[in-house]
Amino acid sequence: MSHAGALFRFELAAALRGRTAPLFAIGFAAVSLAVALVGLSAGGAMAMQGFARTSASLLQLVIWVVPMLALLTGAAVGSECQDLELIAALPVSRRLVVISRWLAWSVALGAALLVGLGAAGIAIAATTGTADGWRYLRLLGVALLVLTATLALGIWIGVASRSRLRAVAIAVGIWFALVIGVDLAVIGLLAVLPPGQASWWLSLLLMADPVDSARALGLSLFHADVVAGPTGAALHRVLGGAGAWALAGALVAWTVGPLWLAGRRYARADL
Amino acid sequence: MIRLEELHKSYGGRLALAPLSLDVAAGEVVALVGPNGAGKSTTLRAIAGIIRPTGGRALIGGRDVVTDPVGARVQLGYLSQRAGVPLGTVVGDLARLVASVRGVPAAEAEAAVAAAGLAGRLDAPLAELSGGQRQRVMLALAVLGPVVALLLDEPSISLDSEGSEEVREAIRAARERGTAVLFASHHLSDVAALADRIVVLVQGRAVAQGTLAELSEAAGVPWSLEAIEPPIERIYRVLVARGRSAGHRLTLVRGSAA
Repeated sequence: MSHAGALFRFELAAALRGRTAPLFAIGFAAVSLAVALVGLSAGGAMAMQGFARTSASLLQLVIWVVPMLALLTGAAVGSECQDLELIAALPVSRRLVVISRWLAWSVALGAALLVGLGAAGIAIAATTGTADGWRYLRLLGVALLVLTATLALGIWIGVASRSRLRAVAIAVGIWFALVIGVDLAVIGLLAVLPPGQASWWLSLLLMADPVDSARALGLSLFHADVVAGPTGAALHRVLGGAGAWALAGALVAWTVGPLWLAGRRYARADL
Repeated sequence: MIRLEELHKSYGGRLALAPLSLDVAAGEVVALVGPNGAGKSTTLRAIAGIIRPTGGRALIGGRDVVTDPVGARVQLGYLSQRAGVPLGTVVGDLARLVASVRGVPAAEAEAAVAAAGLAGRLDAPLAELSGGQRQRVMLALAVLGPVVALLLDEPSISLDSEGSEEVREAIRAARERGTAVLFASHHLSDVAALADRIVVLVQGRAVAQGTLAELSEAAGVPWSLEAIEPPIERIYRVLVARGRSAGHRLTLVRGSAA
C-alpha cells in the first residue's frame, strides 16, 4: 500500500502542475455564474437565479462538457502510459499505475469542478439565499460520478491506443456517440418496441450509457416530473424507488469496468 | 543474480531476439554489444519487464520477471535510453517516488540527485535539463537503494567525457557492492574497460560470448595483456561480420579459451 500512496502522490503532483485542472475550474466558475445570471435576463431583469433553477440549467451543461473534458484528458493520460518505461521497471504493478493515474486525475479534475461550481454556488448563496442549495450539491455529486466514469473510459481508450492522436480522435467519437448517438438509437428502438416493454428497455438503455445515466440521475434528483414535463414524469415513474441508486450504481460500474480493462490491457502491453 | 534461460522475443513473425541464455553473477559486469537492431535493448527491456518475452525465462534474484514481476523488480535498477517518464515530470517528484518504492529515505534520493551535479534542480522538470543532465539523474536513481541487479541501456549516451567517466565509476562502484551489472553500449572503450564478459549480438542472435581474451582468440585478432589498449574495435568488426554471414553461430563460454 505504501507503493500505492507513493504512486498516487507522484501522479497527483503531475496532475496539479498542469494547466488542465485550473482551466477546468475557471471555466466552470465562469459558466456557472453566467448561467445563474443570464437565466433571468430574458425577462428584462439582470438578477441572480436561485439554486433550483441554476442547478436545472447547469445539468445539461454538466452532462455535455464534463464527459468531453474527462474523455479527452483520460485519453491523453492513458496514452501517456506507453511512455512510462521507468515507472514500469519499478517494483509496482502496472494495474496500480493505471489506478493511480485515474485516481490522481479524478481528484485533480474533481477538485477543479468543486472549486468552479463552488465559487458560483457561493455567489448564488450570497445573492439569493441558500434555499434549494441541496439540489446544487446533488448536481455536484452527479458531475463527480460522470467525471470519474468517463475519465476511466478515456484512460482505457488511451491505454488501448498506440498514439495520443489516435486516442484523442477515438475519445471525441465516443463522446459524440454517448451524448447524441445512443439517444438517437434509444429513440429509434423505443419507437419499434411494444408499449408494455418500453419502460423496461428504457431503464436498461439508460444504464448502457454513462452520460444518459447521469442525465437521468440528475433529472430524478430534481423531481423531473416538474422540471422536465411529460418526459421527466415518465422517467420518474420508471426510475422511482431504487432507480436513482441503480443509475448511480451504473455509473460506478462504468468506472470500475473500463478501469479494470485498462489495467488488464496495460499489464500485458509491450511499452 | 540475473539469469536468462532461452529468453526470446518476436514481434509478429519478426524475430527480435533469438533464444539467449546468460548468467550474470553478483559483482560481475557483462556487456551487450552489437550493431543497431541487434537485440541489445530488447534483451534489457525483456528483463526489466518493459516488454513481455515471447518465450524462455528471465530471473532476477531467482524471481521470474513474468510470473512475479513486482518481486523480480524489487532489487532491480534500470536505466533506459529514453527518459521513461513524461518530460514534464519534476526531478524531485521522481526522486521521491523511486526512493519510496525502493524503501530508502527521500533525502537519500535527493542527495543522489545533488551528487549527480543537479543540486538545486529538484524543482525543475526533466524538459528543462540537457540530455546529459537527464542521463545523470536517471543513472543516480537507477542505482539508488539495495539494488542487486543493474540494467543499463547505453548509459554513456548524451554524456561528455566527464559524464562517461562518471558512468564508469558508477558501474565499478556497483560491481564492488556485489551488484550484477548487464549493460548495452556502442562505446567499445567502455566495454573493454568495464566488462568481465561480452556478448556480441547480431540480428537478434548471440554470435559470440566470452571474455575479451576469448573473443580476441575467436576473432583471430591478437591481443595481449601487455597491450596498452586491446584492439576491441577490430575484434568487434570481425565477430559482427561473421555473425552476419548466414548460418554462422559462435558461442564461447568462460574459460574455453586459453
